[in-house]
Amino acid sequence: MTGRPDLMASTVGGLPLSSPVVIASGVWPYDPALWTADRLEGVGALSTKAVSLAPRAGNLGTRVWETPCGMLNSIGLQNGGVRDFMERGLPVAESAGRPFLVNVVMESEGEVSECLAILGGQRERIPAVELNVSCPNVDGDGMAWGMTARSTAKAVAVARRSWDGPLWVKLTPQAPDLAGAARAAEAEGADAVVCGNTWLAMAMDLQKRRPAFQRVVAGLSGPAVFPLALRTVWEVCGAVSIPVIGCGGVASWEGAAAMLLAGASAVEVGSALFTDFDLPRKIADGLMKYTAAAGIESLSGLVGLGRKNHEGGERR
Amino acid sequence: MTHRAPRDFPAEVVENLRLDGKTTALVLRCPGVASTAEPGQFVMLRAGTGNDPFLGRPLAVADLSGDRFTVLCRTVGRGTELLSSTPAGAELTVRGPVGTGFWSARRGVPLPKTVHLVGGGVGMAPLLFALRRLDGTAVGRVILGVAGQGWEGLTRWAGERIPSLDLYSQDGTLGRRGLALDGLPEGLPDEEEIWACGPEGMLRALTKRYPGDLGRIRVALESRMACGMGGCLGCVLPTTSGNRRVCSDGPVFTAEEVLWDDRSA
Repeated sequence: MTGRPDLMASTVGGLPLSSPVVIASGVWPYDPALWTADRLEGVGALSTKAVSLAPRAGNLGTRVWETPCGMLNSIGLQNGGVRDFMERGLPVAESAGRPFLVNVVMESEGEVSECLAILGGQRERIPAVELNVSCPNVDGDGMAWGMTARSTAKAVAVARRSWDGPLWVKLTPQAPDLAGAARAAEAEGADAVVCGNTWLAMAMDLQKRRPAFQRVVAGLSGPAVFPLALRTVWEVCGAVSIPVIGCGGVASWEGAAAMLLAGASAVEVGSALFTDFDLPRKIADGLMKYTAAAGIESLSGLVGLGRKNHEGGERR
Repeated sequence: MTHRAPRDFPAEVVENLRLDGKTTALVLRCPGVASTAEPGQFVMLRAGTGNDPFLGRPLAVADLSGDRFTVLCRTVGRGTELLSSTPAGAELTVRGPVGTGFWSARRGVPLPKTVHLVGGGVGMAPLLFALRRLDGTAVGRVILGVAGQGWEGLTRWAGERIPSLDLYSQDGTLGRRGLALDGLPEGLPDEEEIWACGPEGMLRALTKRYPGDLGRIRVALESRMACGMGGCLGCVLPTTSGNRRVCSDGPVFTAEEVLWDDRSA
């Protein structure tokens, strides 16, 4: 990184970040060769692949599908369960010497409590938890937990009771009232909200003349969703006072800057890492130059500046 | 072999050889890949640095020379067409080398006395590279199977590199009429192996042909994939030891490990 790295540092939702770039859940393997300082330049923190209480085999059939400026995935949260994570994933995550979040799947209330209790048993080793509320509420109506303010509140309340460390809540952009869901997360004690996740979409396989995915729908990510994600970040930042982490299609420092101007305190990058390992460093460098050129003291001066300027403009 | 995670590199197209209507050999200058790649490993190749097409295309390393490596690219869609039409002098983006390769597919097991290599179409690429590196192992049959018309360029290119190449085509226009597997020996003695890469149908047929010898058949598999680093789990394959990633646990597996009936076509 060029310039003064301290200008990039901040504490977001209880997690000290040396850069506002967080690697999103679902993209970074537990490959020790990738959790080293030279492979993580510009990375402030990493979110692990999703962890559930019991192992999950994931979905059958086609799991990824390229789309214009993006991709669809239907992985199905494949993971070895929380005990396997503690044994094999956690030592790798710790080896980077960098903050990380354990991405925990909001399953049933009982499962998530047990999962968080296991993580809590090693509280000193786990910097933070990111609760993924995009999964179906099997105790309730089967809709994703994050779809309504009410069920989001319930999920966050359960997690908050079982985990006393920093808690980020990763919202689902499918929620019709995303601002309401974010407010509910804040009210129940979330330290930050991540806005958001992949966008429900689909693809048709023209050769097989049937939907590309066995589950028909899949999650869209990549630069294609960026303007959608930016709009949701703008809405959510206007609704809560806890930090918001912008997530969705960030593939350049410009995208990250737009998220910060809209009010995000940090960004998560996911599928863009499939095309460029060096993206976090490029984003961090780009942000530093952009703030310096604008005469802004530090990166925090950028957070929400687009809102202030907009409101000022309205007054004029 | 010590594990190295893949890296991203720029790669200059040194030569673009359009072999036939749909097959191109790209010679790329990229010391980062050329200095470390092993047979069976592949690269994720992207045209340019834009967002569309978004993902790299997985292509096996077919040859190495100094700071250069070669891939064979068969045009199947817009992404491969863009790669195939990249002129000499232009730059592509490479992630690699990815995967574990032929030598690692049976970790700790010594190489066989004799190996037969059988490729279907551009599946010949990793076998060509393996052929160059085999040392102390006799090479039995080397077979390339293609559909026929439209594959003249690839068969000529491969024939120039492998004097002993047995060529089969389904329509009989190139080499002998028949399937690649027709060129393989009747039985597979204990000290022999078959290494194969090609269409799924060919690999499945191979497993049916030698049902008792699957532990001595190494297959280099293809899959849709996204990340090329073992992260996204988009390319997993059902195996006797659970889901494994084609990109980083493979792409070479023994035919015995693969749960062929659970693998979606």
